Amino acid sequence: MSFFRLARRNAWRKPLRTLLLIFCVTVAFLIYGLTASFLSGTQGTSAASDDLLGVMSAAGRTQALPMAAMTRIAAEPGVASVAYTTRMRGYVTVEKNVVAVSAVDPAQITKVNGKELGLTPELVSALGEARDRVLVGRALAQAQGWSVGQRITVTSFQTARKDGSRDWRFDIAGIFEGETASTDTYFMLANYDYINTARSRGTDTVDAFVVRPAPGTSAGALAAHIDAIFANSATPTRTQSEKQFLEGFLRQYADVGLIINLVIGAAFVTLLMIVINTMMFAVRERTFEIGVLKTLGFSRKRILILVLGETLFLFALGGTLGLVLAKLATVMTGPALGLVFSTTVLAKAASLIAALGLVTGLIPAINAMRTPITTAFRAR
Amino acid sequence: MSDQPTDTPFIRFRHVKKGYRIGGEAISIFDNLDLDIPRGDFVAVMGPSGSGKSTLLNMLAGVESPDAGEIAIGAARLDLMGESARSAWRAHNMGIVFQFYNLLPMLTAAENVELPLLLKPVSAKERRIRVGKVLDLVGLAGRERQYPGLMSGGQQQRVGIARAIAADPDLLLCDEPTGDLDRKSADDVLAMLRLLNRELGKTIVMVTHDPQAARHARRTLHLDKGRFTEEREAA
Repeated sequence: MSFFRLARRNAWRKPLRTLLLIFCVTVAFLIYGLTASFLSGTQGTSAASDDLLGVMSAAGRTQALPMAAMTRIAAEPGVASVAYTTRMRGYVTVEKNVVAVSAVDPAQITKVNGKELGLTPELVSALGEARDRVLVGRALAQAQGWSVGQRITVTSFQTARKDGSRDWRFDIAGIFEGETASTDTYFMLANYDYINTARSRGTDTVDAFVVRPAPGTSAGALAAHIDAIFANSATPTRTQSEKQFLEGFLRQYADVGLIINLVIGAAFVTLLMIVINTMMFAVRERTFEIGVLKTLGFSRKRILILVLGETLFLFALGGTLGLVLAKLATVMTGPALGLVFSTTVLAKAASLIAALGLVTGLIPAINAMRTPITTAFRAR
Repeated sequence: MSDQPTDTPFIRFRHVKKGYRIGGEAISIFDNLDLDIPRGDFVAVMGPSGSGKSTLLNMLAGVESPDAGEIAIGAARLDLMGESARSAWRAHNMGIVFQFYNLLPMLTAAENVELPLLLKPVSAKERRIRVGKVLDLVGLAGRERQYPGLMSGGQQQRVGIARAIAADPDLLLCDEPTGDLDRKSADDVLAMLRLLNRELGKTIVMVTHDPQAARHARRTLHLDKGRFTEEREAA
């Protein structure tokens, strides 16, 4: 027997109570695992870059910018590379099945953002072989069950063709993986020329320019400088980093981060109250036995460690179970929800398990530690 | 091991004072109590309720401190020790046998006996060997995995004795060790304590109400109103 085994035996003294406590901890860490995976994933902003800049119209995301602006942006000394993009949103088969198509110049986007997206020379070459080809992100391809060579039809919500149709047909030329699991790959890349030539309105305009600052250039300063250039033009711009853009985009609906933190906070405060209360009760039940242990020579420190070990055991078991379930959920929901159970999520969760285990055990442990033997013996 | 106590006092009380405040009233339990118990002695302490037997045992165990005076056991001055030092001293030098056994119900007999050994720098293997030996000594070989709830009172008390001697302490304190047992079991337990005293040289202080139990000790001290009033050598 060891101290840990002794703590474990104490914890399992009332199996039903212990199982319910473990269930509470499991649920709390399942919620934590899922919400943290959301923030860590493509639906959150953690994977977005602070360095990559997006230049959009100051009037709003839906207002187009003239293609001519690109020459002025590219001429700026702090700009390493620049690409243009037009975003087309639509659906496949049913309206609920929404997809996004970014119309780009393959060579330019590869230079600016190819590494993050995982665009290999082979993929770029395959995209260029025909105008109606697309590269599909891994997450989107998995969610839709698409494969290379398949022909798909995207019905655009707003971008109509010159013949009045809103159906755009594409051949899938390849699948790009994204640099990390957190990279957003739930969209496809199409040839700008194909869409630009065929669309009925907005020819030779773009939705945004994507700018890669030169090494040593401050992204913030460059963003301010670009906006200053176009401040008095017909189309003033608003330049933001990818991260700022995504955060702003999510805040249109709500402060997602705040809501998630509040949900996690509420779950953990409830959990703390339940566990502290139950542990206080459980330790009070054992006051007499703690007196016996002290009489045998168990010091105050050892009693403290014993009770803390018990709560740590409950949290380790329940927390691990909750995190395993969260991981399984992220795998089973597939890429559509964009949940990423990263090592950072795991490390933070492990720290939380340890911290909460200690915090919840502290009050009952200190009570047990301080109870004099003579008082403990009167508790029988 | 010698079966006779030495002349040098192993336990020494000098001018020990102890009292409590109950409802604002000061009650003196001991006033200038002196006591000498040599190493290897087996002393029974008898006396009416409220005479101070439990307080004496608590002070011997370092559970309570005297208000004044000196308590020395071997080279250790308990009255000068802090709580941590007294815990450490108990872990290494003293075993205690309770009236109601006080075994932990969720641990097996062997695990209960192993508890004091967790406080010593002893490997798991050595602990297992030691536990086996003491359970064998108290006649419980083969019952290592049995839980206290499934044992008779006599068997539980044997486990209690095994736990008390597992760490091989010099001093055994027994608080009414036969108070909850039938005569047969009580005689077995007392014979065992006698054996531990005679064969292993343990110094034993046993508080008891039972004159028959006291007869197993080498001598009996009678405590009344905080003073030893009578001392009788065993036959």
